[in-house]
Amino acid sequence: MTEIAHWPLLSTLLALPLLGALACALLRRAPLAQHIALGSGLLTLLCSLLIVCAFDRTDPHFQMLESADWIADLGIRYLVGVDGLSLLFLPATALLFVGAVVAGWRVTAAAAPLSPGLYFAMLLLLEAATLGVFCALDTILFFFCWEFTLPPLYLLVSLWGLGASRQSAAVRYFLVMLAGGVPLLFGFLALAFAHADGAAPVFALPTLLATPLPEATQYLVFLLLLLGLGAKVPLVPLHTWLPPMAISAPIAVTALLAGLKLGAYGLIRLAIPLAPLAARDLHWLLAGFGTVAILYGGVAALVHSNLRGMLAYSSLAHVGLVLLGLSSFSVYGLQGVVLQLLNFSLAGGGAFLVLSFLRRRTGSTDIAQLGGVLRSMPRLSAFFLLFGLAGIGLPGTSGFPGELLIIVAALHDHTGAGLAALFGMVLAAAAFLSPFRQAFFGPPANPEVAAAADLLPRETALLLVPATLVLGVGLYPMPILELLRPAAEAWVAALAGL
Amino acid sequence: MTQAGYPLLATLQWLPLAGGLLLLVMREDDLALILGRLFAIAELVIAIDLHARIDVSGSALQFAERFDLLAYHAAVDGISVLFILLTALLGVLLSFYGMARQQISPVQLLSVLLIIESVQMTMLTTMNLLWFAAASAVQLALVGYLLWRWASSSAENLALSRFLQYQFFGWGLFVAGAVVLVWSHVDVPGGRWSFDLFDLLQTPQIGKYQSVAFYLLFYGLAIRTPLFPLHGWLPNSAGYGLIAVGPVLLLGVKVGIYGMARFLLPLTAEAVMIWQPYVVAFAMVGVFFAAILAFRQINLRRLMAFAVVSHTSLIIIGLFTLHPAGLQGALLLAVNFGLAVTLMLLMIGYVYRRTGTTELARLGGLFDRIPFITIAFLVGGLAILGMPGTPGFDAVHLVLEASIETFGALPTIATALGNVAAAGFLLWAFQRAFLAPRPRDLPAARIARTSRMEYFVAGAALLVLLAAGFYPEPWLRLTDSATAALADYFVRHD
Repeated sequence: MTEIAHWPLLSTLLALPLLGALACALLRRAPLAQHIALGSGLLTLLCSLLIVCAFDRTDPHFQMLESADWIADLGIRYLVGVDGLSLLFLPATALLFVGAVVAGWRVTAAAAPLSPGLYFAMLLLLEAATLGVFCALDTILFFFCWEFTLPPLYLLVSLWGLGASRQSAAVRYFLVMLAGGVPLLFGFLALAFAHADGAAPVFALPTLLATPLPEATQYLVFLLLLLGLGAKVPLVPLHTWLPPMAISAPIAVTALLAGLKLGAYGLIRLAIPLAPLAARDLHWLLAGFGTVAILYGGVAALVHSNLRGMLAYSSLAHVGLVLLGLSSFSVYGLQGVVLQLLNFSLAGGGAFLVLSFLRRRTGSTDIAQLGGVLRSMPRLSAFFLLFGLAGIGLPGTSGFPGELLIIVAALHDHTGAGLAALFGMVLAAAAFLSPFRQAFFGPPANPEVAAAADLLPRETALLLVPATLVLGVGLYPMPILELLRPAAEAWVAALAGL
Repeated sequence: MTQAGYPLLATLQWLPLAGGLLLLVMREDDLALILGRLFAIAELVIAIDLHARIDVSGSALQFAERFDLLAYHAAVDGISVLFILLTALLGVLLSFYGMARQQISPVQLLSVLLIIESVQMTMLTTMNLLWFAAASAVQLALVGYLLWRWASSSAENLALSRFLQYQFFGWGLFVAGAVVLVWSHVDVPGGRWSFDLFDLLQTPQIGKYQSVAFYLLFYGLAIRTPLFPLHGWLPNSAGYGLIAVGPVLLLGVKVGIYGMARFLLPLTAEAVMIWQPYVVAFAMVGVFFAAILAFRQINLRRLMAFAVVSHTSLIIIGLFTLHPAGLQGALLLAVNFGLAVTLMLLMIGYVYRRTGTTELARLGGLFDRIPFITIAFLVGGLAILGMPGTPGFDAVHLVLEASIETFGALPTIATALGNVAAAGFLLWAFQRAFLAPRPRDLPAARIARTSRMEYFVAGAALLVLLAAGFYPEPWLRLTDSATAALADYFVRHD
């Protein structure tokens, strides 16, 4: 594997979707664009799998570091690398984007008089930016990629979204994220200057992690980062962009938003390790936000009349669980958190992809408009049930081990919050099973549902990948837990060592 | 002192003038148009040559040329080169943009454009306050002529008279400030009547008249810039007048900001430090005031005007941090805004050629007909917001960094949120104009596809904008030592 490790794999990973985006944008009228998009998506996936193979599982440090001067005058570098915590997000992201490309197959051409090439170009740009967030080890590079996800998302939602309110949803999302970017940038600047000691400001994450901050600055940095990342997570008072986005965005894009928890990743990577004292001291804040999100998300999902809205609110509850797991600062809590985040990519992303196939056939995901889906589309229903059960953490699915670890950690450290989380799991189960019964069982309320055809072979093939992974990880999660262990232990040791 | 083999700065000033005068006597035909464009391109080549030759390791002003009889003294440093490059680039873009077939007498327009470019080069290279003022007056008169001769509607009279009143009042203030400043320098031993920057810097300053001189010069330049609350001329002239050419000439190259960095800050350093809090407070109000007014606009062009006022305030905040990073950020921001606003105005011009209106309510559904123009407009807007990947990001980053150090976190965060408000109105306008459903009186067939020339103009501007955004190193290096030297004036007095 050493030969592979010398090749700049991470830069290749970032460059592939960018090249694909460029090709798609240039070929925007040709149907060739979607093949190019799929091709570059698959190549990116392959590259991410190569990275997983070349990764040294015993080393808890950042690996495959690539570094180059970017804006030398300001000390800003192009610095990328992965460790055990971020590694698996790369193939998860790549896989989800392949799904999003397939879900957009031949739909975009019919839906709007717009060029489909542009749709795929935006999708691939978004993929490059998302992968950049997971690889970036320079705070400014991280911020750059973080903000760079906005323009493609904005265009995807406002041009190819659903319903009349898509444009206001897109603007609201853009503005909330931009406003969240302000505290984030200020947090990074405060960090850079606190480490500088009169010299040039420091943006490189490894350096920042190696030198502790003064305690007072830690609180400032932690709260700024929490606020900035919290807009994307989303923490409960900052979540107002989520429901309109879930309803208005193209469903494949919603799958990306729900499946890729950049905000939670930011908390693991930046906010907590960079300000460990403040984070340990404010553990109740994280646990509190988590508990509120679990209960609120569960109740809101229960009453939502649209399957997309229901899934969006359940994803809010999932993030609450992640926050709760993080707040225990223990190795198994962190393992559970990362596992749970990966589970979203598979189960959450998968469920939204199923909905996008459903909507293409029936024109709606409103529960009242459905009913009897199982009879006309048994395969589609089976996939949706599987992903939904993984979402509520049924044993045997990938949702179970993560959830179990988190609940155990929470019961140990925040007993009250852990009990609330258990109750939240019951809510989540009810929130999924009751609409599932109404929408999928019973007589078809809508002739379109009865006439709809089941999944096409390519769609089945696409969904089989996350479905296999959901079951595989659920039955035997040890490889992933072992992969996470060194990095998780180092992460916790750095926190505890203070 | 570095010297080229030929009088570089004089060529920069004379070449477009010669081109403009030549075109003035030529007939209205394609040959004249091609010739005019060649002149604009040649000017850009000379500007690039200047950039290649300049030595930016020190802060010294270079390529000095003097002709004592007329008190002609020209020299450049990294800051001027940045603005010169922008001016030359905009000259090329405008020479390709402006000459559409339906335009009245395009050759004359091109000739006036070239002459204005020449005068602007004089403003950017001269070391003499009076030369700066004189060139400024000529430029204003020519732009006024443009607004009058190529007006797009008959309601332009109010706009024109408002424009001239404001501008010449500001010009008067600037000249008065220059006279007061020189007067105060004559009084000290060794002083003499000279408007030359070098002479003025050599004699020690006396505090007595400095505040007066500062205020006169500052307001004179602020009206040009335009800075809240002195922006009254802009929305009117932007709302009438030429769609793109006029506003680009006034807003593309921020000579007001350049004048502040070149003359005001070094010459009245003590007064600048005394009045710094007031200027910044006004600018912070300006960021929000203009953003709020922009939300209320129903015309794309007037909205752009308020966007400019809002962002100018941000530049002023950066400039008056008096911090090396802040100064550098402010100057880069000025250039970024200039380029981005130009791109947006040109795209609005293209839209106007198709729709005959810039009223937001009467636009819509442009994206599926002219996607490239739409995207170019959006990228220009994103550059104004300081989105990563555009030069705005690095510049805003620097300004905020300096602002935290100088004014503390809270005012800086407020300013940054003001910038988010700006994002709000630009996106809102973008959606209304380009993405909203097409109004019934605007059939799709009336919106012609993007032409080859339009691809070229928009593509060139986009390319420069994105290249500068992803690789900002050269521009930072170009202005590094010059802004550091500028900041030194304010360290010494502490």
